[in-house]
Amino acid sequence: MCQKTAPPSFKTIPVEKAVGTTLAHDMTEIIPGKSKGPVFKKGYKVKSEDVCRLMRMGKNNLYVLDLKESQVHEDDAVYELASSLSGPGVQFSGNPKEGKLELRATYPGLFKVNIDALIDFNMIEDVMCASIHNNRVVMKNQALAATRAIPLVIEKKELEKAVKTARDHYPIVSVKLFSPLKIRLIITGNEVYKGLVQDRFQAIVEKKATALGAVVKESIILPDDRETITRQVKSYLKKDTDLIITTGGMSVDPDDVTRASIEKAGFDEVHYSSAVLPGAMFLLGYNKTTSIMGLPACGLYHKITIFDLILPRLMAGERPGKRDLAKLCHGGLCQNCTPCRFPACPFGKS
Amino acid sequence: MQNFETLLRGSAKAHGHLCPGQVVGVRMAMLGCDLIGLDEPKNLPQIKKIIVYVEMDRCATDAISFVTGVKLGRRSLKFVDNGIMAATFVNLDTQKAFRIVSTEESRDLAAVYAPEIIDKSQQQLEGYKRMSIEDLFTIEEVFVDVPACDMPGPTRFKAVCARCHTVVRDKREVLKNNEILCRPCAVGTYYQPVRKKGRKDVSKNSPAVF
Repeated sequence: MCQKTAPPSFKTIPVEKAVGTTLAHDMTEIIPGKSKGPVFKKGYKVKSEDVCRLMRMGKNNLYVLDLKESQVHEDDAVYELASSLSGPGVQFSGNPKEGKLELRATYPGLFKVNIDALIDFNMIEDVMCASIHNNRVVMKNQALAATRAIPLVIEKKELEKAVKTARDHYPIVSVKLFSPLKIRLIITGNEVYKGLVQDRFQAIVEKKATALGAVVKESIILPDDRETITRQVKSYLKKDTDLIITTGGMSVDPDDVTRASIEKAGFDEVHYSSAVLPGAMFLLGYNKTTSIMGLPACGLYHKITIFDLILPRLMAGERPGKRDLAKLCHGGLCQNCTPCRFPACPFGKS
Repeated sequence: MQNFETLLRGSAKAHGHLCPGQVVGVRMAMLGCDLIGLDEPKNLPQIKKIIVYVEMDRCATDAISFVTGVKLGRRSLKFVDNGIMAATFVNLDTQKAFRIVSTEESRDLAAVYAPEIIDKSQQQLEGYKRMSIEDLFTIEEVFVDVPACDMPGPTRFKAVCARCHTVVRDKREVLKNNEILCRPCAVGTYYQPVRKKGRKDVSKNSPAVF
């Protein structure tokens, strides 16, 4: 960030002596009734054939940059900053404007930012970079971050320091590609199994999963019976399954047996509960090749739950553990806004 | 820029035959260059100022390339696989850009402009030459933010695929399951390997080349 600013390195020179110098600001040409716009941009190197046009534009003297050996123009500087910050899945315009560049997603996926490294980057003088929150689902071409060289000219040593910081922590910003996970779904509940209540979970899970490119290969409705659920989980594990999702039966009532059923099916790692509301009674587990998510019934009522925070991370090949579920605490309380603005809200942005 | 007939002759020669697509492509390219203020796009310094996005890989694309001098290898010709007879001409210096689309109506209007010609292809060829710009094309001024990794010039961005170790240029790598990968490794290939031999095995059986 900027703490002190070097004096702008301008000088005024007659237009006829400007050939080979660099313009300090945009030069606008107005052709009455036809057009108005910059014909020479800041940073443009004046050529001999430009002198007549500049004179016709009424320019007898120009502000030009007088860069010292140790200085870099903001547009050149920000290009270097963006290059060093951008990891896989991140691109930026080839035309920096006013020393600023937006970093955008090359493809849809999960946005990742190394927060500590980004803070270190922002501790360096005369540069900055602001990003959206970590772990957000992003669309192709979505703005992820923006960086700029703050003064018109930046000291080369500060630029080099910033570039080195970014390269040492490469990639500071990146986008993880989603894998088209093969999902198998188990809907539990005596009331649904007996047809007393119509299932609504399947439609919810399918909608959210397919939006990210996953495929629900199979689904089944089962009663709240430990053996039956365990047997079904084991059966799904034998198939080509990336993710098993169970719904319901995650609470503490005598009929809530899904958690125990999953634990009995034999996973290497099972975490129960998350620091998120809605979604506290959530289960997440893994064996070598398959993940399992136990969704509590809150998913039927709330539009956005822990499911919306964890599914994208599994799709991006991550395996959040107990600490990751705990870390969601800060920002893990949904405020049930009307209308819901997720993901443009604090929910899940720890 | 040379006149239309000279450019059309040159374009047909470069493409391999004279066809209605050549006429459309030459006229589209001449108009595009005019709109973005370039009269000598094939020569320095203008050769470095132009990028053309073509939205079809058919005859007209070769004509556009011939007239403007844009080439894939120079990174000045970009192919966007939309299957639309359209191209966008960008002046990198001024940021001016125009998208020109060949109208579907022009196919039928060829008969109005060249009624004396019976053969359909010849009628289109001659009709497109005579047709007004308004009948032949729709034109829209647009803004194209050319990404840094798509710009002409030396390669600035390189990554190495964690799986096959191929060097990937120009930020085409992806991050998948925490690995930086080339696209073939990440999302699959457009080809099927015929033999499962590695490069070393193949070269063993190949004659030495110096």
